[in-house]
Amino acid sequence: MRLHEYEALDIFEKNGIPVPRRGIASTTHEALHIAGEIGYPVMVKAQVLVGGRGLAGGIKSASTPEELKDAAEQLLSSDIKGLPVLKLLICEKVEVSQELYLGITIDGYSGEPVVVASTQGGVLIEETARKFPEKIASAHIDSTFRFYPYQARSMLRMLGIDQKLITNWTDVVMQLYDIMMQYEGLICEINPLVVLPNGGLIAVDAVLEVDDSALSRIRLPLPDRIDRIENPIERRGREIGVTYVELDGDIGLISSGAGLGMSSMDIIGEKMKPANFLETGGGITADLLYKCMDLIMMKPGLRAVFINVYGGINPIHEGAKGVVRYIQEHNVKLPVVAKALGNRQEETWEIFKSGGVHVVTEAATEKAIDYLYELVERGQ
Amino acid sequence: MSILMNDSTRVIVQGITGRIGSAQTHWMLEYGTKVVGGVTPGKGGSTVEGLPVFNSVDEAVKETGANASVFFVPAAFVLDAFMETIDAGIDLLVIVPEHIPVRDVIKMRSYALEKGVFALGPTTPGILVPGMGKMGIMPASMFAPGRVGVISRSGTLSYEFAGILSENNVGQSTVVGMGADPVVLRNLTDILELFENDGETDGVIIVGEVGGEQEEKAAGFISRRMNKPVAVYIAGKYSPQGKKMGHAGAIVRGTSGTVEGKQETLKEAGATILNTPIDVAEWAKKNKLK
Repeated sequence: MRLHEYEALDIFEKNGIPVPRRGIASTTHEALHIAGEIGYPVMVKAQVLVGGRGLAGGIKSASTPEELKDAAEQLLSSDIKGLPVLKLLICEKVEVSQELYLGITIDGYSGEPVVVASTQGGVLIEETARKFPEKIASAHIDSTFRFYPYQARSMLRMLGIDQKLITNWTDVVMQLYDIMMQYEGLICEINPLVVLPNGGLIAVDAVLEVDDSALSRIRLPLPDRIDRIENPIERRGREIGVTYVELDGDIGLISSGAGLGMSSMDIIGEKMKPANFLETGGGITADLLYKCMDLIMMKPGLRAVFINVYGGINPIHEGAKGVVRYIQEHNVKLPVVAKALGNRQEETWEIFKSGGVHVVTEAATEKAIDYLYELVERGQ
Repeated sequence: MSILMNDSTRVIVQGITGRIGSAQTHWMLEYGTKVVGGVTPGKGGSTVEGLPVFNSVDEAVKETGANASVFFVPAAFVLDAFMETIDAGIDLLVIVPEHIPVRDVIKMRSYALEKGVFALGPTTPGILVPGMGKMGIMPASMFAPGRVGVISRSGTLSYEFAGILSENNVGQSTVVGMGADPVVLRNLTDILELFENDGETDGVIIVGEVGGEQEEKAAGFISRRMNKPVAVYIAGKYSPQGKKMGHAGAIVRGTSGTVEGKQETLKEAGATILNTPIDVAEWAKKNKLK
């Protein structure tokens, strides 16, 4: 789960990392009030959970109340990469002497947390790593999760950063590491970490993504994660225990696995467009698939539904009963095509057929999608 | 004949008394797997599917001679059970559960590597050797014996690929689910190496997906060390950036973990890129695999 910048800044501040004076506004009026308190010039930052927010126009600066009013009005009425801007972070604009990057992530390949720092702040770190490897320093942390201040100091030296920063730098790195540990972070990042003219450091941005699988044992000072999902259908998906991702097509999709779901999207995408990605995981019951049907039918304009499930861990014959019950109770007229293979497949096919579902029995999803395409083209 | 599992593999099921554990024990036995017992702390002395249940892995190993274990343990208890299993001397572990905290996986992975134990997962469908046995949840009807190795990050896609191959009369030597989490207990390269060294495998299919860099990191091994033909499919071409697509590890962040990046790297390494799963049949035919 990724936190909003303003939420992460609060946590960073609580852990001792210097952050700008700031406030959160959901109206232009509130924005002006906050700026009046902290003083101009200010930065106006849209609080949306997408990468590349700055490049997409989500960050502006304002030197006067008039400029702030324009910026706030414009941002609050806009979308950034499809997400509405509901909140603005208004913060003090600091004087920049140098911009650094500091981040801690999990290196999936070595299976270790890794601290990465760069003298190239404010830009995409992956690109820096590719173009200027000499501007990157990193330190791996072993599976006992011990990280010492000398490792932070050595990164500073490797990057050739002014040694006068040594105390402030080491403090920030160790504080960020504590946050990573305390909140079981997957990504914990400051980009940029600004060096002030007086040699102080300040985190003008904060990224914190915590491990969803650890939420029950970490204490996040935040509302329930279900309430944080902005898309109502995605929120409903989380409530019933499935992954739902909204897309902009018109073919509804239910799959019993993430890989199969992504692959089905890719195959549908060759000739049509998927309306969504819905993955049930391993918990299929009749009731769950009934709810899944209800969920995907919430999206207007569907032209067909494709169900792609395997009976490995899942009792697919139970799932089929739920789909058929939904079709009968709601008198669904759209073509529904199902590919269901694995344990108890024959029984599953009979149940699907009894509800008018088109059953495809070959393994390749491409063949099922070809069949569905024909049905859609024929207008059935 | 196979990698990881063979005739002398004797399997215990951890969490055997649970709903999924007992159902999957039934399917594993039906497929001919030598399942010799199970473990659920507190349920020792009972039986499931006619097999003895023990309170500890240690007892299970002593009583049954087990040397492999498959996990259907709730995520919060996996770390503990994993350490117990390694300390009891088991050297092949299949961790089926999903939603295990990454921090726990890091500890598990490090201990398994230190002890020289082969562990797969988390979030894996397991291992299946067609006609011989399986550890995990793979549905038997999709598989047929043969000489193609399959490694998949996704469970369901491993079934899909095996199914397409089987329908085209191409069998599999071993099918391995490597797990779909951001950190897995064994990297793709290690599994590739087993297939390269296996006398009964003539070609290998890698079924990958967006996110992480397992596929990219395997490229070096493929170009330098592999003599057998390798085909690669990467799912998630239309996955929106920054969205977690069901699997914890399947997320495109910025410019890393994309389908294009993975395909490009593996193509340069000499692997055949499959644009869509059904193309695997043509690849197998071209390489005279069966």
